[in-house]
Formats: sequence, structure tokens, C-alpha cells
Amino acid sequence: MGQEYLVIYEEEIKKIEKILNRLIKNSQAKCALLVDKDGHLITRQGFTHSLDTTALAALLAGSFASTKEIARLVGEPEFSVLFHQGKKDHIHICLVGERSILAVIFDDRTTIGLVRLYAKETSEELTTILASATEEKRDERTKMGSDFSTSLENKLDDIFAE
Amino acid sequence: MPRRAPPAHKNSKAKLKMVSINYASKDICCKIVFYGPGLSGKTTNLQYVHEKIPPSTRGELISLATDQDRTLYFDFLPVDIGKINGFSIKFQLYTVPGQVYYNATRKLVLRGVDGLVFVADSQRSKMDENIESYQNLVENLEGYGYDIEKLPLVFQYNKRDLSDVSSTDELESILNPKGLSHFEAVATQGMGVFDTLKCISKLVLDQAKGKKVVPEREVLGKEVIMAESKPAQPERVEDLKTPITRPRIRASANLFPEKVELSKEKEAEPIPEEKSELFSKETKCEPPLSEKREELETEKEEMVAGGLNYGQEEKKVGSEQPSPKAGENPTIISWSVTKQRTKSVPRGFFLWRFFKKLLNR
Repeated sequence: MGQEYLVIYEEEIKKIEKILNRLIKNSQAKCALLVDKDGHLITRQGFTHSLDTTALAALLAGSFASTKEIARLVGEPEFSVLFHQGKKDHIHICLVGERSILAVIFDDRTTIGLVRLYAKETSEELTTILASATEEKRDERTKMGSDFSTSLENKLDDIFAE
Repeated sequence: MPRRAPPAHKNSKAKLKMVSINYASKDICCKIVFYGPGLSGKTTNLQYVHEKIPPSTRGELISLATDQDRTLYFDFLPVDIGKINGFSIKFQLYTVPGQVYYNATRKLVLRGVDGLVFVADSQRSKMDENIESYQNLVENLEGYGYDIEKLPLVFQYNKRDLSDVSSTDELESILNPKGLSHFEAVATQGMGVFDTLKCISKLVLDQAKGKKVVPEREVLGKEVIMAESKPAQPERVEDLKTPITRPRIRASANLFPEKVELSKEKEAEPIPEEKSELFSKETKCEPPLSEKREELETEKEEMVAGGLNYGQEEKKVGSEQPSPKAGENPTIISWSVTKQRTKSVPRGFFLWRFFKKLLNR
């Protein structure tokens, strides 16, 4: 695959979650999601139970990608912050490093300024964590066991049955 | 699927691979993209899958479409296969907009793709569109620095129930001369849909395991060597704010992924026979593999530090530019910006002359 794998260890995930939690606490937001630009959810914190975070991650990444293209067309390298205002809930999206996106969902209990301030701070912190993950060589391979293929085949047959 | 995806922290055992394999929660998440010309049935494929698989395994089907139900950006269907050997397997199925007009958004969907299904329209009259779409796929992948030869790919010849269709042999010879897996399908009735999906799922997961995915391609090694001599396809303009950290000529789109795979595979398990042939072929024409690997690692690091600047940019001028070292602040203004600036100078100049003339009158 023509892709760059980035491996993040558990302790880093914990650090990221701690930072996200602090962001939510400080800015009084509802929840925060860290999403890969490819649309995969890295981690999430806050009140996310009522949200379809998988779809949200894919759509956020799509939205960010299209905005990036718009930016390119108007001669900007990238719009680093996006903000969607709703009636009750609002969403603030900003870039983290080169390949991740931080989305903060908040309502009228807080203000955009506050969210923006803390999101920027958080984004910088997360950038350093993710950057250290990319600098190290982490060539991890999947060890799925020898009977993986047969189990998979059976499972696929079960699910994809007409 | 709001509740099913477990938060990564709950059972974080090991590590997380960001693109597609999430080790933190032992999730394997694969992005499969359905590609093909407009109205070939990509969305229909997804709709059928959504309709037929057990509701507990699927999420919501999200369609970003126009009022006429033509895909505008993408359709998205998450499928949760469940646990296999402790790994939770998830597929994210995407379709692209097929119409030529939407190439900008089509390309965006391909970012981070793990496997591809090319849905071709079997009707005779649509053959040209199939070919065009396939070429467009190759170009768009190159734009991201992906090589179509290395990605799991299956073909689906759709609309077999219509009257004026090309024979499978004909389609094969034109679209799939390499003889990759192909399926005949009638997506509206569901024929061939699951066969295609099963096949691509297995291929993608085999690739994740580090198996060689495309055994049919005997000439792979030769092609790689040829591809390496090609000049690189630089990354999209957007990423040029941090410039490429090395002469572009080495950052071949095809070279990069192949090397990653080779180096990974060698460390982990004995090389399969076909693969070892590949190694020997390469070492004949190239520096020894260990050197290559080192080169690759530095290349990888530099690219990561430089913002993953491999990939597309249609016109490249900056390849001769001296590149700053990784980690440095990008001081070189990217070519695109420079171009706009040089462009804007004469425009301003004409405007100024125009006003001057007006004033003189």
C-alpha cells in the first residue's frame, strides 16, 4: 500500500485523551474527537454516546478535505480552522499537525472564543505527541494467527450471505 | 453505529496504526473504495449491502448526493465484521462520484484507501467511459503516491442483465489484462455484490497480514525497477507549504510503497518464493537491500517531517530547488504560490496603467 503507517502506543493515546479531557473541561465543550485525515477515528472524549462517531469521523475528514481543496483553489495552502454554527450545537474543527483533525462540539454554555483558544492550545500539544510518534521508527506488523484466514472466510460467509 | 465502536482507551492493549489498523483497541479498520464511471452501479452496490447484511453489523448508509440522487461526494457505509482472533474487523465502504465533472471530490475519497473495487458498466456503449474512469483512477492514485499495482483491486462487471453487453472476455482484455479477480454482477438484484465484497475484504486483510496480494502479476519486479527510473509525482499543491525535503527525482511514487512492504516483510517472516525472486531482481540493479532500506527509512522520516509530501502536483518546477532539512521551518515558498505572485504582478501593473490613463484624461 502506498501509505505511511503511523503507530501510536497506548501511553500516547492516554496522553492524548488526558489533553482532550482538559480541553473539554476548560472550554466547557460537549465532546472532542481526534480524527485521522483519512476518516478514521483515533480517539474521542466527552459526551459521545449519542453520536455516530464513525460516520462523524468520515464526514469530518471529507469536509476538511473539500475545504482544503477550496483553499487551494483560492490560493491558500490550507484553512486551518473551520467553524459550523448551528441553532444549539456548534462545531469547531482545527488541524493537528499534518494529518489529523481535532473537532470540538459545544453548545451555548460556552463561547466560540473560549473553544478556539483552548483548541489552538490543544492542537499544539497534540502536534508534538503525534510528531514524536512519526519520528520514531515503529514497524509493527499484524500478528493475527495462522487460522485467521479460515475464520475470516467463515465470518464473511455468515455476514455476506444473501 | 453509535455504540458499537469501542473507545480506543477501553481495551488498549498495544499500539495504534493510524491509517487502517488500530492496535490500541485491536481494531482493524479498512477503507474500501468503489470506483467506476458514472451510473455504473457503485452506490447500488452499497445500497444492496446495506439492505442485506444484519443490522447489528452495519452502520448508517450516508449518501452525499444531489437532488437527482447522483453521488456528489461519497457514500459511506461502515460494516463491523466482528472479532476474529481477538481483532475487531471493520470495513468502511466508500463510493466515489462517477461523473467526470466531479474529479476534485472523487480524488479526495481515495485518500488512505486500502482496497479498490472497480465497478465497470458492461454495456457496449459504456466501454470508453470505463477505460477513461480506469485511467482516471490510476492518475488519481498516483497523485497520492499510491501505486495501483500494489493495492488490492478487484473488478466487477455490472449490469450483466442488460441486452447489449460486452462479453466478459472483451472486458477482461481491455480493463483487466493482468487477470485480477473479476465478478459479473447485477447490482440491482444483488448478483455478484457479496462475492465482490468478500473477495476484496480478503485481499485487503491479506495485505494487512503482509501477504503478497497480487500473485498473478509475475512481472511485478521488472515493473518496479522500470518505475523507479521515472521522475516522481510530487504531492498536491496544498502540502507544499512544507516543501519536499529531497530532490523529487528519488521520491518515486512507485518506489516508496514497494520498499515499505519489502522491508517490513523481510524482517518479520521468511520471504515467500515469489518475493525472494523480487528481491534478487532488485538487488541486481539497485544498491544492496540494506542500503535501500536505510534510504527508505530516511526518506520516510523526511517525508513525514515534511508533511508527507509525496504525491501529486501536475507541473513540477521545484525539483531542482535545494531542499531544507526535515524539521526546519519551511522557508521556501512553494512553486504554486510563487507562480501566483509572479502572475499577480503584471495584473496589478495593467490595472495601474489603466487608472493612470484615466487620470491623464
